[in-house]
Amino acid sequence: MRLRFVAASCACVSLAACGGWKSGQANSAQGNISQDSRPPATGRASAVTNGAATNGMAATNAMMMLAVPLPKNQALRVMHVRHEGMETIGKNNKALTREVTGGSPDLGVVRASAAQIASLARQASGWFPAGTGPNVGNTGAKPDIWRNPQDFSAKLHNFQLAAQAFNAAAASGDTNAIKAKFADLGSACKACHDKYRSEMHH
Amino acid sequence: MGEKQPVWDLPVRLVHWLLAALIAFSWWSVHHHHTDWHIWSGCAILTLLIFRLLWGFVGSSTARFSSFVRGPRAIAGYWRGQWVGIGHNPLGAFSVLALLGALAVQVGLGLISEDEDGIYLGPLARLVSSDTSDKARDIHATWFYAILALIGLHLLAIIYYRLRGKKLALPMITGRAELPPDTQPMRPGKWWVALICLAVGIGITRWIIAGAPLF
Repeated sequence: MRLRFVAASCACVSLAACGGWKSGQANSAQGNISQDSRPPATGRASAVTNGAATNGMAATNAMMMLAVPLPKNQALRVMHVRHEGMETIGKNNKALTREVTGGSPDLGVVRASAAQIASLARQASGWFPAGTGPNVGNTGAKPDIWRNPQDFSAKLHNFQLAAQAFNAAAASGDTNAIKAKFADLGSACKACHDKYRSEMHH
Repeated sequence: MGEKQPVWDLPVRLVHWLLAALIAFSWWSVHHHHTDWHIWSGCAILTLLIFRLLWGFVGSSTARFSSFVRGPRAIAGYWRGQWVGIGHNPLGAFSVLALLGALAVQVGLGLISEDEDGIYLGPLARLVSSDTSDKARDIHATWFYAILALIGLHLLAIIYYRLRGKKLALPMITGRAELPPDTQPMRPGKWWVALICLAVGIGITRWIIAGAPLF
């Protein structure tokens, strides 16, 4: 009874393990984290004068973070805007997951949400000034953000690039590109949240 | 007294310890940013629950619900010390049903949940709205405390019996215990029946993982 059951169970379970559930962004969640090894964003500050939009964002991210801490009332205002912005990005991403990882995405929904995320991603450069951590108000932003400004800026920049790339893919209407860039976007969100967001952000 | 007799068959013990391990792993993985592993763990628990439900009808004598789920009179009799037998006692039966039921609720909630960033969807989340998925996730997180409470009660009961001289943990590992005189020993199930139950559990789980087509 025992040996036969164990042997047959093992066979069954190994059969059960092949293939199975997919969740668009989730499958490639680890593939993109290596992108974080890009040069630190602060190294590109000179690019601002060249007018390159994305490099400009990276430079702004880093400069915001290294500035003198904001006074409390201003800090709380920024934290509120940040919270609302993140919440809106999340809502859009939830709508997108259902569209993009399903059978046939509704391009109207995809484009609207992609544009909104890209726009908020640009605004996110101003969401993490010094003095907006958990010692000031209720937030999921970890103090590590301001201890590792270069790494955090790089990750934020990575998210901004991913949001732009996804927005471009959505505009093109190419389903394969939409799926691929949406997976990249999810990885960019996750890379930063895993490291710099606490569970105390509700 | 004397020689130890079979009390729990291998499937019952495997389900018990795998559930314990998977519950711990589910908790750990979701708190360490491994939501994908968490979902797989939940699916494995689902398979075990389906298997255990079926084995509770066609398995060994001590695995069958009909052998241990009893009415209030049996429970009162047990309280007065009038129960003789092997397997789950009439009061312990409640604990078994509560634990399995609480786990089933938890798996059901997890299946329709989505994570707060909208990166991961439970296999059946598409059948409900995003708002419902978010609510399900919140309840899923809270319901874990109900499961913890039941596990705590389960452990306290084991300690209580141990203090009264009855060892419950060891038989759940070895499957054997000394039986009171004049009790029927465990009647084992058939290995191929266990295999069919497992195959059904895996089949239903895979169908759910596929998003429950035809729904």
